[in-house]
Amino acid sequence: MATATRTDIRERIEHEAKVAGMRRFARPSIEAVERRRLQLWAITITVIAAMAGATVIASIAHANTVEWLRPSTLRIAIIGLALGFSAYAIEKEVHLHRLSRLLMDERVLSSALSNRLQQHGELTAAGRAVNSVLDLHEVLDVILSSALELLRVETGSVMLIEGEDDGAELVAVAARGNNDIVLGSRVGLGESIAGRVAHSREPLLLSGRVDDELYPGHQERIVAPHSAMSVPLVNRGQLLGVINVSSFGERSFDEHDLQLLCLLAEQVAAAITNARLYEAERVHVAQLLELDRTKTQFVASVSHELRTPLTSIRGALSASRRATDVEQRNELLDVIDRQTQRLAAMVEEMLTAARLERKGAMPILRRIDLAALVRLVALDSQVAGRPVEVRAPQRCEIRADPESMRRIVGNLIENAHKYGVPPVRVTVEPAGDKVLLSVLDNGTGVPPAEREKIFERFYRSDRTATSRPGIGLGLPIVRGLVEAAGGTVWVEDAPGGGAAFRVALKVRPLDEQEVEPCTAGQRS
Amino acid sequence: MHGRPKVLIVDDEPDVLLTMRLILEAEGFDPALAADGETALRRIDDEQPDIVLLDIMMPVLDGWFVLAELAGRARRPFVIVCSAKSSDVDKTRAFDLGADEYVTKPYEPDDLVRTIRDTLSRGARRPARL
Repeated sequence: MATATRTDIRERIEHEAKVAGMRRFARPSIEAVERRRLQLWAITITVIAAMAGATVIASIAHANTVEWLRPSTLRIAIIGLALGFSAYAIEKEVHLHRLSRLLMDERVLSSALSNRLQQHGELTAAGRAVNSVLDLHEVLDVILSSALELLRVETGSVMLIEGEDDGAELVAVAARGNNDIVLGSRVGLGESIAGRVAHSREPLLLSGRVDDELYPGHQERIVAPHSAMSVPLVNRGQLLGVINVSSFGERSFDEHDLQLLCLLAEQVAAAITNARLYEAERVHVAQLLELDRTKTQFVASVSHELRTPLTSIRGALSASRRATDVEQRNELLDVIDRQTQRLAAMVEEMLTAARLERKGAMPILRRIDLAALVRLVALDSQVAGRPVEVRAPQRCEIRADPESMRRIVGNLIENAHKYGVPPVRVTVEPAGDKVLLSVLDNGTGVPPAEREKIFERFYRSDRTATSRPGIGLGLPIVRGLVEAAGGTVWVEDAPGGGAAFRVALKVRPLDEQEVEPCTAGQRS
Repeated sequence: MHGRPKVLIVDDEPDVLLTMRLILEAEGFDPALAADGETALRRIDDEQPDIVLLDIMMPVLDGWFVLAELAGRARRPFVIVCSAKSSDVDKTRAFDLGADEYVTKPYEPDDLVRTIRDTLSRGARRPARL
């Protein structure tokens, strides 16, 4: 443990400084210790020289000395003193030397620690940066910049998982520098270096040339990196991708760099998850807003559609009070009858749409002659002032729910009259094991961008919402009924212009004997 | 104004045309009918009605087009917009385009007749209009 070692060193420094006789033993500097050592050497040399001088002087002046101070005694005393002082000086020097080494160790440790602190500071800043933006593309850009800045290199890439299970692969979504991984590069899981890291979910540190056998699929670059790292991005157990960095210069990554990149990768994975959640939420909000818009439009359409027949009914009632003869009154009663039927049909339409939305009801299949049904609906339409041309075989028997079929054909004819231009044509053509029912008009057709939308509930095209009545349920009901019968419906350009609404219905076998359900003989 | 005031009823609903024609006739007006904007403009040019009852949502040319077309003319009939569109935005747009009144469907026919008379009598005090 770094902190325990540091405390230990501090205590030993204090002890050695105390023993060495440093004045400020709590925090001595290396320079102070060195000064003290120099002083000690200088004193020692001075003392020994003084002792030697004293011995010489003592030998010369021995005649005048007192009885007990004989030259031999004096010499012994001086040598003894010199030895004692030397022993003291050596002991101090040993402690001072030890202290100097301890101080050097502490200085190295402090510098390493401050380096680490600086990196942690940079890591925190990088983490803050990657979590400060929510747009995924921006996040990826910040991630790569932060990683490269943190590790002081210029080449790197971020790859994210696309697809699921066996089809999953890594796709480069951000790339910088002298990189053979460019935007959009794809690597299968288990292939090359990034793919292997993603597969094993273990960070990897590489130096020198990459062994092709160890990393199948890896392609040797023209300029191989000096050192490289690849770390998986995992959030809550889910693998999101891989972050790669390479060094082409003198810089060689070590275990500590790998650890740093792993720490960043944790924050990066969280940031990517957040950005994805934000994106999903944004899409969800847009959908809700669109739903709100269509609902508002639906309420407006419904109220409009209710007001129109009510106007006629009120008018008919008011006119009948002023009517002078029976014929006129009967005509007005017919108006009331027609408009109440119209209101009832609208209510029925809304109920049908709601029922289809639940998708619970199964159609009641019966043997019907589609050709006869189309002709009958066309006749009704004709009576209501919407003429229709019919081209159909004499007979075309299918198994279907007659009520649904009537509504499908009726709604499509009404739609063609409302949004297209006459003449409106209905055709019934057998096509293999299917029957193709088409309703064509001579209008401007449906723009490709709206061909799916017009089948959505309550959708009203901006081109027609203000000029044509309707509540946006006719075509959704057609699609619901066709799909319930196992068929498909779509719109395309009619040959020669206009819209062609096509319904493909499967001909269900009526019984074993009947192979050809539709018999030829076109009749208009 | 001489004799019975001419009223052009513009609506794509046949039953509205039918009932309003009967009512206005009984109320002493001279009604004419148009089921789309194009016919309406033609009949305005040909017959010069005193007042037009104009629906907005119609095929071919809608009521907005008719209003805009009339707005640019020096001599034009009174226009009462009769529409199922009930929002303030639509009303403001109609008045900006020169509509004299705005009646929301379903209207009470007697009220509409009263509005027609009021508008025409206002016009009688402003002879410069026609």
